[in-house]
Amino acid sequence: MPDTVVVVGAGLTGLACAASLPGRIRPVVVDRIPVPGGVHGWDTDETRSAEAAARSRGAILHLGETATRWDGEELLVMGQDGVRRIPARALVVAAGSRPLGRAELGLAGPRPAGILAATVACHLSETGLLAGRRPAVVGGGDWAARAVAELLHAGAEHIQVVTPDGVLRRFPESPALTVRTATPVAVEGGPRVSALRLQGGERVECDALVLAHGLVPLRNVDGAVWEGARTVYAQPADDPATVSAARQAGAAAAAEVEQMLDAA
Amino acid sequence: MRDVVVIGGGVVGCAVAWRLSSTAARVTLIEAAHDLCEGASKGNTGIATSGGDCHPGTLELELVRRSSPGWEALCARLDTPFHRIGTLAVALTEEDEHRLPELLRDAEQTGAAAEIVTGDQARALEPLISEEARAALHFPDDGIIDSIRLTIGYAELAARNGVEVLRGAPVHSIEREGDRIVAVTAGDRRIATRSVVNAAGVEADTISRLAGGEPFRTWPRQGQYWLLDRELGGRFRKVVGGVPTPVTRGIYCVPTTNRSLLLGPTADDREDPDDRAVSRDVLEHVLEAARRLVPAIRREHAIKTFAANRPASDTTYRLEADGWRPNLIHAAGIRSTGVSGSPAIAEQVHELLAEAGAPVLDEHPRALAALEPLPRLLHHPRPEELFAADRRYGQVVCACEQVTAAEIAGAFAMALPPRSVDGLRKRTRATGGRCQGAVCLAGVSFLCSLHTATAPWLLAQSEPTATLGVGPADA
Repeated sequence: MPDTVVVVGAGLTGLACAASLPGRIRPVVVDRIPVPGGVHGWDTDETRSAEAAARSRGAILHLGETATRWDGEELLVMGQDGVRRIPARALVVAAGSRPLGRAELGLAGPRPAGILAATVACHLSETGLLAGRRPAVVGGGDWAARAVAELLHAGAEHIQVVTPDGVLRRFPESPALTVRTATPVAVEGGPRVSALRLQGGERVECDALVLAHGLVPLRNVDGAVWEGARTVYAQPADDPATVSAARQAGAAAAAEVEQMLDAA
Repeated sequence: MRDVVVIGGGVVGCAVAWRLSSTAARVTLIEAAHDLCEGASKGNTGIATSGGDCHPGTLELELVRRSSPGWEALCARLDTPFHRIGTLAVALTEEDEHRLPELLRDAEQTGAAAEIVTGDQARALEPLISEEARAALHFPDDGIIDSIRLTIGYAELAARNGVEVLRGAPVHSIEREGDRIVAVTAGDRRIATRSVVNAAGVEADTISRLAGGEPFRTWPRQGQYWLLDRELGGRFRKVVGGVPTPVTRGIYCVPTTNRSLLLGPTADDREDPDDRAVSRDVLEHVLEAARRLVPAIRREHAIKTFAANRPASDTTYRLEADGWRPNLIHAAGIRSTGVSGSPAIAEQVHELLAEAGAPVLDEHPRALAALEPLPRLLHHPRPEELFAADRRYGQVVCACEQVTAAEIAGAFAMALPPRSVDGLRKRTRATGGRCQGAVCLAGVSFLCSLHTATAPWLLAQSEPTATLGVGPADA
């Protein structure tokens, strides 16, 4: 029976890691989303070939299941078919990233409704919700560009993008879009958000605020949030996210796992 | 006609409603906000003090001491997490250390268990505290409690026992005949009643004024807090605070019952009870103070910052019949021990109502004594059993707090179900974890939509007008 290594996250990084693990290891990949690909999307050639490479390496994929606890020896996974306990020699966290939250951005002020993470704003827009007619978006990278596109598509009339670190990638061309570099410091409004206050005191009026700045690794597995036992983290913080960075991070994590197991 | 109208759906009002719900009295509980537990009862440290930091000879101390021994039994009945872990008030300076014997003498007068321990003993009790700690005052009987689950638990059990609960019903007027109150108009309802309990927290002075009662003043005292990740909070064994000074009790590091960590509170008097803005400078000060006590605390552990208002007043613990309105019972000026004293406060209000002639002495023979617990996946020792009982435990909706579709369905099946995403968070913790909803808010919203038959964009995040969206997307 070969040693098992569990990879949490079936994005390109997790799949590349599974495909790169040495032959004496059986990779098991878990993802809470029912399709592979992560932020790169499931319906792409890169995702199809990454999944095929992982499967040809013998990887077992448990999709639509949530990894919840890791104690260094066993991963507890919850899914629609029941509870799965996966004994493993190591855990690889390849769970992707999310934009900074409000506290992480250090935004002062009250807690009105209408402040959404870009991840949520995109998801809600895709499913038929208009988050704001005149939303403000904080950020200048992937998530900001995605949020802008989704908000425009959903029917936003004007979007003001405020990016603390400049523009990292191209935004959609639209007269309904203004982009500026500035540091947001506080929110105003209640019960719904009414403005974003910038350093220097200027106010950006808005009826929704989408937080899309920066990337924080998503860490949801208890016991593996910071420095888990027998845990390797593969969460590239490249913005824009690229296929090559994901592959590299996956391969590097596989090498790190191998070293860890050799040392043990 | 009601026998008692309780004004205020915070921990005090809900505890009173719970106490009265086992009697034959016909009771209505009214709350101005869209949900219960929207004021100080949701924004506090979650410490159930054993009284060692209260002033000897006060009603506050008496009620806290009467409440303290019963927490384990009561919380089991109310499906509320409680752990008696104790508090360490840590002396970091020589000056602090010299004050400990005097504080111990004060504490001994309260009747609460207290002892002085050396720095090494303190670090043995709580290895996370600073090497600088010279000594500490230990209160072993202090506990930590989920004050939101407690408040909602009181109200839920009250509702199941027949108490009528009106949410989103601000009091507009209070009618009198002679010196007695005869009716309360709240929201769109006029409620004829034989007596009224004023448990309106920060707004208690307004209620007394509307009733033509004795004048007193209440105002918001704001506290700001950090919420830190449970990977740090789960390592705490004790509540850790500084040595209180005559001016302030200082900043605490409080592990919560869901293993996250609270830092706070500050104390800053305000005018507007809806002012819940946080400020960067204040929060930096809190973080610094906490790090002096526990150096392992890092900014990266932060999940959330927030401000909450607790009621300050010119008279503390005004628990009495109004001098001018004999059928108005005040439960006001409960400053920062509302949670810690709530069971005994409720008992006291019950006695005051009986003295005022309300029919609260006959116990209801079929009253439920306990809520059916709703099991949670997070930290559950046998998740297989949960799944066997309800397959929806397999569907984790909020990944950070590991809240499943079964728990969300359970919240919506309550007698007092959530009316907003915030309300669901208060009952289940969904969206309240380290990603603050960045992963799950969409999924959580869809489940709220399904359970309430509301379009997602119309779903309330908090108050009914605070909707998730501004409209449907363009087709």
